[in-house]
Amino acid sequence: MSARTLLRVRRPGRLAAEAAALVIAAAVAFPLYWMVLSAFKPAGEIQSTEARPWTLAPSLDSFRRVFEQQEFGRYFLNSLVVAGTVVIASALIAFLAATAVTRFRFRFRTTLLIMFLVAQMVPVEALTIPLFFLMRDFGQLNTLGSLILPHLAFSLPFAIWMLRGFVKAVPEALEEAAYIDGASRTRFLWQILFPLVFPGLVATSVFSFISTWNDFLFAKSFIISDTSQSTLPMALLVFFKPDENDWGGIMAASTVMTVPVLVFFVLVQRRLVSGLGGAVKD
Amino acid sequence: MTADTTTPRKTPVGPGAGGVTARPPRRRPASPARRSGWTPWLYLLPALVLLGGLLVYPIYQLGLISFLEYTQAQVSGGEPTTFQGFGNYATLFGDSQFWQVLLATVVFAAACVVATLVTGCALAVLLTRIRAVPRLALMLAALGAWATPAITGSTVWVFLFDPDFGPVNKVLGLGDFSWTYGRWSAFALVLLEVLWCSFPFVMVTVYAGIRAIPTEVLEAASLDGASQWRIWRSVMAPMLRPILIVVTIQSVIWDFKVFTQIYVMTNGGGIAGQNLVLNVYAYQKAFASSQYSLGSAIGVVMLVILLAVTLVYLRLVRRQGEEL
Amino acid sequence: MKLSARIAAPAAALVLAGLTATACAPQTSDTSSEGDKKTGTLRVWLFQEVGNKPKQKVVDAAVAAFEKSHEGAEVEVEYIPVDTRAQRIKAAFNDPKSAPDLIEYGNTDTAGYVKDGGLADISKEFAAWDEAKDTDPTAKQSVTVDGSVYGAPLFVGVRALYYRTDVLDELGIEPPKSQAELISTAKKIHKEKPDLYGLAVGGAYTYGAMPFIWAQGGELAEETGVTYRSAINSAKARKGIEAYTSLFGDDNCPAAKCAAMGGNATVTAFASGKAAMAIGGDFSHAAVEAGAVKGKYAVVPLPGVKEGSIAPAFAGGNNIGVLKSSSHRTLAVDLMKSLTGKKTQAEMFDAMGFLPTYTDVLESAAEKEPFVGPFVNTLGAGAKFVPASPAWGQIDASLVLPTMFQEIVSGRKDVAAASDDAAKKMDTAFAEAG
Repeated sequence: MSARTLLRVRRPGRLAAEAAALVIAAAVAFPLYWMVLSAFKPAGEIQSTEARPWTLAPSLDSFRRVFEQQEFGRYFLNSLVVAGTVVIASALIAFLAATAVTRFRFRFRTTLLIMFLVAQMVPVEALTIPLFFLMRDFGQLNTLGSLILPHLAFSLPFAIWMLRGFVKAVPEALEEAAYIDGASRTRFLWQILFPLVFPGLVATSVFSFISTWNDFLFAKSFIISDTSQSTLPMALLVFFKPDENDWGGIMAASTVMTVPVLVFFVLVQRRLVSGLGGAVKD
Repeated sequence: MTADTTTPRKTPVGPGAGGVTARPPRRRPASPARRSGWTPWLYLLPALVLLGGLLVYPIYQLGLISFLEYTQAQVSGGEPTTFQGFGNYATLFGDSQFWQVLLATVVFAAACVVATLVTGCALAVLLTRIRAVPRLALMLAALGAWATPAITGSTVWVFLFDPDFGPVNKVLGLGDFSWTYGRWSAFALVLLEVLWCSFPFVMVTVYAGIRAIPTEVLEAASLDGASQWRIWRSVMAPMLRPILIVVTIQSVIWDFKVFTQIYVMTNGGGIAGQNLVLNVYAYQKAFASSQYSLGSAIGVVMLVILLAVTLVYLRLVRRQGEEL
Repeated sequence: MKLSARIAAPAAALVLAGLTATACAPQTSDTSSEGDKKTGTLRVWLFQEVGNKPKQKVVDAAVAAFEKSHEGAEVEVEYIPVDTRAQRIKAAFNDPKSAPDLIEYGNTDTAGYVKDGGLADISKEFAAWDEAKDTDPTAKQSVTVDGSVYGAPLFVGVRALYYRTDVLDELGIEPPKSQAELISTAKKIHKEKPDLYGLAVGGAYTYGAMPFIWAQGGELAEETGVTYRSAINSAKARKGIEAYTSLFGDDNCPAAKCAAMGGNATVTAFASGKAAMAIGGDFSHAAVEAGAVKGKYAVVPLPGVKEGSIAPAFAGGNNIGVLKSSSHRTLAVDLMKSLTGKKTQAEMFDAMGFLPTYTDVLESAAEKEPFVGPFVNTLGAGAKFVPASPAWGQIDASLVLPTMFQEIVSGRKDVAAASDDAAKKMDTAFAEAG
């Protein structure tokens, strides 16, 4: 598919389409460009009334402000720990669960599937109240655990549903063959099924990473007094006061918060598209 | 999202379209090593424990709190809780602000969904008509938008539209028009951000679906002289139906639950709460006004509405013969 | 349908369980303290002011003195933003384990916090404290609920009119002496100098708006026996609301900019030279001095309706309270005394312009610094307070009055409708609080 298009299209039509695509790509990328640009602009240029789409005097001032603010590096690390733990744990747990509901037949299987589907549409922000009390009772308030556990749980239903397709796509014949060869169930699971489903796991891990990295509501609600356990979005909100916005600081903090996700994305981009295609196909 | 298609509908379909269903071998007896027994439950255990404790139990608590009187005095002041029955719901439904917020949420979500679907599908088709380099550029830009955390996306878009320092007002010559001041302009601003970060999902998914359509079918249609729009309507869309359903329902659910963008971009709901949507409204009621029981009641209402949406989805999926 | 049948059974079971299990509701927080340790780390939450550094210096000095005189005790101070204080402090009440030992709180929150079970009753210690005898009676009232004392006053705050002497001189205008003159002066200034707000007003600036209502003879609420009834929609109150909201618009302070502003924002606008007048507190003195308008401004009491009269100001102020859940109660009370003692208050006055709450310290402060004059006069002319009901905290936190002002300013409702709605919300809150 590299040199051709999907459809045989006439040349001028194709050129017009390509021009449109490039313009749209530029428009879509512009906010991110503006964010990074403003992070590097000196304070005078940001607060000026002529918004220039370039800067001749890039400065690290805003970044300095962002990092000098207490414990910003700590917040970054916290976000990373929480997101990383959730991604790994949810991949493993969802894989097991998806395997269970796809490759086995047992009572309540369909009920469980429906429950997983229904669980996805729960507005999790509304659960902040009961979750707060739950965390309090288990002494998890002001710990990273109070962020890891809910995000882990909330990422499972979607991951399980997404992985179903992948798990289902592994033919039964393969499984039969493995058992005939004398493999135990566990061996089949981890040494054959897991690698085959891996692209799907990558796709779902992207979702869990993003939703955990993004979260600010739970951090704001569960981590009150021990701010060393807070995550990045809290650091960002410090600069965001309605009247006297430190736009340079906000953009610098936003850049620092967005870059890891973008890097993660670019790395898994190919897998992601094929992964989604796979999930959608069967 | 999986989408099984077992039987073709109006258009002739080759073996590749939609994929092959894996029908369980009904008649073959299970070999001893494969008897299910406790194994599936073992595999399911971690997931069920987590979901039970962190999803089901809080939902139950949510419902419970909505039936009680629960304000700060009960929570930390030692006052006993009293059973209110449907009292909280009566208060809620009697408050005109609730209905305004509900209407705003529905209309806003609908607008977001329509905008996202149209943009995503149009761009997915566009992707099929161009060569690798522009396609990569558009994909990367879209993925960048999708990857951006909602909170940083929100701050960037507010900055872009800032009356004093943002480029948009300069380019459009709007002086110091404040987008966040007017009700509709604030909603429009949030809609643009939501569209920006949601269309990639639709675009990538639909594009993947289009790629799964056998090229012969598409070429046959275009050789027959059909316009792009005709091709979409009569050939692509019907074959993409399962994907489109998935993408639509997913968008409806996400856009109905929007929280971060509204909260950050309209500073908690806008002037006099004019930009409140249900999720933010529930949060403000619970954590700002300390009316935890009312906040929980709103949460329950949201839950019920989204449950209805999901039931519709299940019906649609069932009707297609998808095997669960 | 098979589908719904599959969901129905477990769902019904859930509902049944729920209805019969009121006892399974989340427990109330156990806010009682677990002991009275004499060593360890004390945690303090103080408000972050505009221009906070001088306050930090004074606090650091008081803390150092405390640590020196109390072996084994350490103090950690955190400065929290004022506009989100309600959530944070409530969260602290919800989870005593994570709560600090001392908090600074506004005197409008006293009754609410006591009802929420957060503050410790320190009547005994307060009575035994010799410095406390000189406490100004209004300040003492602001820490007293039902006869018990729940904190020590930190400072008293009133607001008055800051104005730019250079701008008024240039235009040949005298400082306004009546409410009507204030409004016309503001509009005149903005007309002559369109890039300046005449009078910086904020839609969310409740305590700056109240004097307009009180000057007209309106009230926020009236006491009726045990509870309160809102009076914000009375004819007199409405006149005050109209006067205040008339200042929003392209002829003074454009609604788009000003509807969302709170007190700090209007003071910042004045200090940075964007407004010719502003309603600021004695506590804003340091911030204005540090701003671009240093040396070019003066303060007069906010005028009332009659020429030469003073509009009743809101008797604000902050207190420091010990949390009920604190496990270092004795130490905390001592630290509280150190932070609110006469010496510290005198230093706070020098640093930030916070008015002391001791009658003798206030007198010597007024003699030392002339800028205090208009504020003391305002206090003397009669300052008013919010309804002393535990419901006020909730009314404030749910932004009933800012919403009312913003609805009027944005044209969504007229004064009558908006004030009626606000009155309804206030009455509901009063009824709930009991």
